[in-house]
Amino acid sequence: MYIPKKHEPVRIGFYICHCGVNIASMVDVKEVAKYVGTLPNVVVSRDYKYMCSDPGQEMIQQDIIENRLNRVVVAACSPMLHEQTFRKATEKAGINPFFFQMVNIREHDAWVHTDRLEATRKAMALARAAIQRVPLHKPLEVKKVAVHPNVLIVGGGIAGIHAALVLANAGKRVYLVERDPTIGGHMAKFDKTFPTLDCAMCVLSPKMAAVGSHPNITLWTYSEVAKVDGYVGNYKVVVRRKPRYVLEDLCTGCQECVEACVYKEPKFRDEFNLGLGKRKPIRLPFPQAIPPVTLIDPETCIELKSGKCKKTCLEACGDRKAIDFKQQEELREILVGTIIVATGYQIFDAKRTPYYGYGVYPNVYNALEVERLINASGPTNGELVMRNGQVPKKVAVIHCVGSRDENTNRWCSRVCCLYSLKLAHLIHERTNAEIVNFYIDMRTPGKGMEEFYNRLSEEGMMLVRGKVADVYPDPTDGTTGRLIVQAEDTLMSRILKIPVDMVVLSVGLEPHPDSDKIRRLFNMSCSSEGWFLERHPKLAPVSTFTDGIFLAGCCQGPKDIPDSVAQAGAAAAECFSLIDKGHIEQEPNTAFVVEKECSGCKSCIPLCPYTAISLLEDKKKAYINEALCKGCGTCVASCPSGSIVQNLFEDAEVFSEIEGLLAPVPV
Amino acid sequence: MVAMLEPELCEKGATIETVLDTPEGKRILTCIQCGMCAGTCPYGEYMDYPPRRIINMLRRGFIEEVFKSDSMLRCVACYACMSKCPRGIRLSDVLLPIVKEQTLINQPEIPAELQKTLQNTLRYGNPMGESSRKRVNWATANGTKVPIMAEIKRPVDVLWFVECYTAYYQRGQDNSRAVAKLFNALGIDFAILGNEEKCAGDCGQLTWESGLFETLTDYNMEIFKKYKFNRIVTGDAHAFNAFRIRYPMYGFNYPVEHTTGLFARCLPQLKPKLTKKLNYTVTYHDACCLGRRAGLYDEPRDLLLAIPGIKLVEMTHNRVNSICCGGGGGGMWLDTFFKQKGMERLSERRVKEAIATGADVIAVSCPYEIYRFEDALKVIPHDKPIIVRDVVELLAEALGD
Ligand SMILES: Cc1cc2nc3c(=O)[nH]c(=O)nc-3n(C[C@H](O)[C@H](O)[C@H](O)COP(=O)(O)OP(=O)(O)OC[C@H]3O[C@@H](n4cnc5c(N)ncnc54)[C@H](O)[C@@H]3O)c2cc1C
Ligand code: SF4
Ligand code: SF4
Ligand code: SF4
Ligand code: SF4
Repeated sequence: MYIPKKHEPVRIGFYICHCGVNIASMVDVKEVAKYVGTLPNVVVSRDYKYMCSDPGQEMIQQDIIENRLNRVVVAACSPMLHEQTFRKATEKAGINPFFFQMVNIREHDAWVHTDRLEATRKAMALARAAIQRVPLHKPLEVKKVAVHPNVLIVGGGIAGIHAALVLANAGKRVYLVERDPTIGGHMAKFDKTFPTLDCAMCVLSPKMAAVGSHPNITLWTYSEVAKVDGYVGNYKVVVRRKPRYVLEDLCTGCQECVEACVYKEPKFRDEFNLGLGKRKPIRLPFPQAIPPVTLIDPETCIELKSGKCKKTCLEACGDRKAIDFKQQEELREILVGTIIVATGYQIFDAKRTPYYGYGVYPNVYNALEVERLINASGPTNGELVMRNGQVPKKVAVIHCVGSRDENTNRWCSRVCCLYSLKLAHLIHERTNAEIVNFYIDMRTPGKGMEEFYNRLSEEGMMLVRGKVADVYPDPTDGTTGRLIVQAEDTLMSRILKIPVDMVVLSVGLEPHPDSDKIRRLFNMSCSSEGWFLERHPKLAPVSTFTDGIFLAGCCQGPKDIPDSVAQAGAAAAECFSLIDKGHIEQEPNTAFVVEKECSGCKSCIPLCPYTAISLLEDKKKAYINEALCKGCGTCVASCPSGSIVQNLFEDAEVFSEIEGLLAPVPV
Repeated sequence: MVAMLEPELCEKGATIETVLDTPEGKRILTCIQCGMCAGTCPYGEYMDYPPRRIINMLRRGFIEEVFKSDSMLRCVACYACMSKCPRGIRLSDVLLPIVKEQTLINQPEIPAELQKTLQNTLRYGNPMGESSRKRVNWATANGTKVPIMAEIKRPVDVLWFVECYTAYYQRGQDNSRAVAKLFNALGIDFAILGNEEKCAGDCGQLTWESGLFETLTDYNMEIFKKYKFNRIVTGDAHAFNAFRIRYPMYGFNYPVEHTTGLFARCLPQLKPKLTKKLNYTVTYHDACCLGRRAGLYDEPRDLLLAIPGIKLVEMTHNRVNSICCGGGGGGMWLDTFFKQKGMERLSERRVKEAIATGADVIAVSCPYEIYRFEDALKVIPHDKPIIVRDVVELLAEALGD
């Protein structure tokens, strides 16, 4: 490695890239190269068609050797894309890679301007800024941090389940934390799934069971992540485990306690069935729940409310001794290297579109409720009977409820056209009812989806192109609760008022209301809608802006099961890539405190978005944990005594850069 | 939530040629042809060109055909399409008035009733063609004493803009007297313009007689400048709408309130004074300009519920989904035209819903509605008596004496 000798004269090589015509069509690269060649310390100045190509890189390396260069500046595209390429190239020729500086004249210049002369002048200024800062650069070293091999997965829907199995099957230790009493997520509520119409639980339950029994998976249901500290490779996580009042290791899942509960009949709102059925205070959420362990609801259990129950459940449990009314919330601390967030979505609350009468007219249902109504393990054992005890003869399915709407949610929820078709088919199959689907645009992207649409259309369901405007009781109907669905058939330019027995609202998918809290917990970003933001929409779709934290499934945006599973696999692969490499390299552009100047005022500590700063209690000086520092510079700018310095952004470097930028250019 | 639309201003002077270049016009380009507007429009089934088709004709360059049809005369400016449009296109604020103006220009003849009203408003400053010197009469008759700006010669807190129906028509005057009574009970420092006031012009602009509207705006703005006051309060939902949405583009920047909004704000002081029990079952009809356009859904209901004895029941269509009384956008003067076209009067449709609730009273908050509903009740059979009252009338009644 090149070690600069003191007072050795600075010798800079400058290279400007044409990027085909991307840059050259807007910037006169030859002029820029000529100009930079006249600047102090510049020994060679060249332009080349593709600097990132092998010949381009070799040119730099050859110059370093032949012209004894000790600094390199490349003016080309964004450093996001090729900074590493050129750093490696310079390093290979024997110079510390941080003696290289990149200038972005594509995204910051050629692509955003229309005046060639001005764009050329800007390129000159930007290049000169780099030429002025680079002599001040110091050699820096990339640090290596070990990656802990365990993985945390948050959310046990199909995405979380799949990621957990991929990792566990390859021998990695996985902690799966699920908020509900069972894993399975939304998919566990469905009857069948599009486009294949295979039974949802038939494909899901084996995977759920595998998670439950896998030696490499620690499954914590009814639990939430309470705290996350640390950094990629070394996350310290605290998980809060809520009491179920039934001990997981002792319960055999026999459900004799449920049978024995003093409430002879189920009486309380059954959450799993969205309130369409009833449950007892002690219950298993649904037959194939994983873990197959009952739980007691403290809000409705007599013993937990008043301590005055006969506790027939306890009696029934007998020697197994699984019921424990004294169980307390527990906090567990774990160490993991990587985290996958797979917290899914919630359905849109149709009360927010009051003109569809959800919550007002009993025969208006949301789609998830209908999934339960047609599900054999649902509240009606799979028979589609409505709240009034009748089987509908005519059903309207309304698309885009709470999607594609400035007044509610602006995005297309992507799965509801397809699940609407699915439900139309299933309802027809069960009841022989006539179905009318009201859609705006029929969106069926994805493999096999258009074919599915095609096949179901043949069944003769009525498809009306028009957004339903109003749902109201049929004034000619006295008792049955028949409703009129009013919409314009836009292909016929006619207003339809269709009487139906049942209305199904195809509600959209939206982020959980606590997504902002979760985002902060894991230091992620959210899009303005509240979906977790991927690092790059195309090239890093499951990464977040926090290293070592990945996304899978609908928490990143609406998608179907195949895409959720594919993302889960991708997120697992990202974890592998870190775990198997064993360490990560850290950019040395971190900040450090010059201790003798720090007054210990602590003003920097709360400002750091990565909680990297702490106070050394003994010295009363601020200390920056290099492994946590992301080099954002916030503390540097805020320190009242100017005692924080950031590598690569030292004051002298920044000021010379600014001077270089602002001085007049010759053309 | 169904969004309460921002009281965004309207672009001054946008025409059919320029509208697509304005920020609001650009929204029009985003229309997804979903048909929500046509489906929700109370007269959608009678329009050859509901908003959806208008937009597509405009985007494809066939808008002239729309102007030749009299379809747009059926629009009662009820804001239903605009409130539910999934693209947030400000139909009733921006596009429809322009189309309506062009439609009127392109008709071989304008329905006589409307024609007369527009002429009256221009000539006399009120749609009924009453003498402008009689505007103040209600405020001086039968011992009522209402302060008048020109007479009291001092600044006031509230300038009460009375408006036409509430000044000239018997049932409107009842409403005005009730407002005066409530102002006095609350100790509000107020005065009216008396004979100096002219129609605010809301319906003029929604039928998009822009020339007429500007004449009225200029006139009223000049009068406002003569006096000192802190805010304008009006009991007329349409004047309220005009001051909120349209007048600002002519430089108007006074705070404005509708009486229901003001009284709802004053409920802590008002409630103890509401001592007389009114044993009514009441259903409230949301006025378009207050509900959908200004989000005042709860205020009138809160006022009604503050009256001892009142039980509130809702009609099938309420709040954002309310159905217009049919009086907006010039509909007040198009009943004959609508009848010729075989269209049901919306006031009748609305009254049927009210009757179905079993209520004793239809409570309203816009002066058009009193007439329209009382009229409709004459033709729609109902077993049980049902009356129409403005919310403020009920409040005044509950004040006792
Ligand atoms: C009515 C309806 C029908 C559908 N039908 C189909 C279909 O037929 N075919 C198809 O391909 N797709 C269908 N979909 C889409 C499908 O539901 C999703 O693609 C899939 O469920 C996404 O899985 P997920 O794991 O990302 O999210 P989810 O299923 O939502 O799972 C997320 C899990 O994370 C848990 N969780 C949430 N927050 C936290 C937290 N803070 N801590 C711990 N755990 C948390 C939740 O409890 C849940 O168990 C349908 C959607 C709907 C609404
Ligand atoms: S304690 Fe009583 S109420 Fe509670 S679960 Fe057991 S039997 Fe049921
Ligand atoms: S998938 Fe279909 S129903 Fe769902 S929001 Fe998109 S267009 Fe509407
Ligand atoms: S409701 Fe809006 S988006 Fe839909 S057709 Fe009408 S104007 Fe277009
Ligand atoms: S404003 Fe009302 S009447 Fe006019 S087009 Fe819209 S919905 Fe129809």
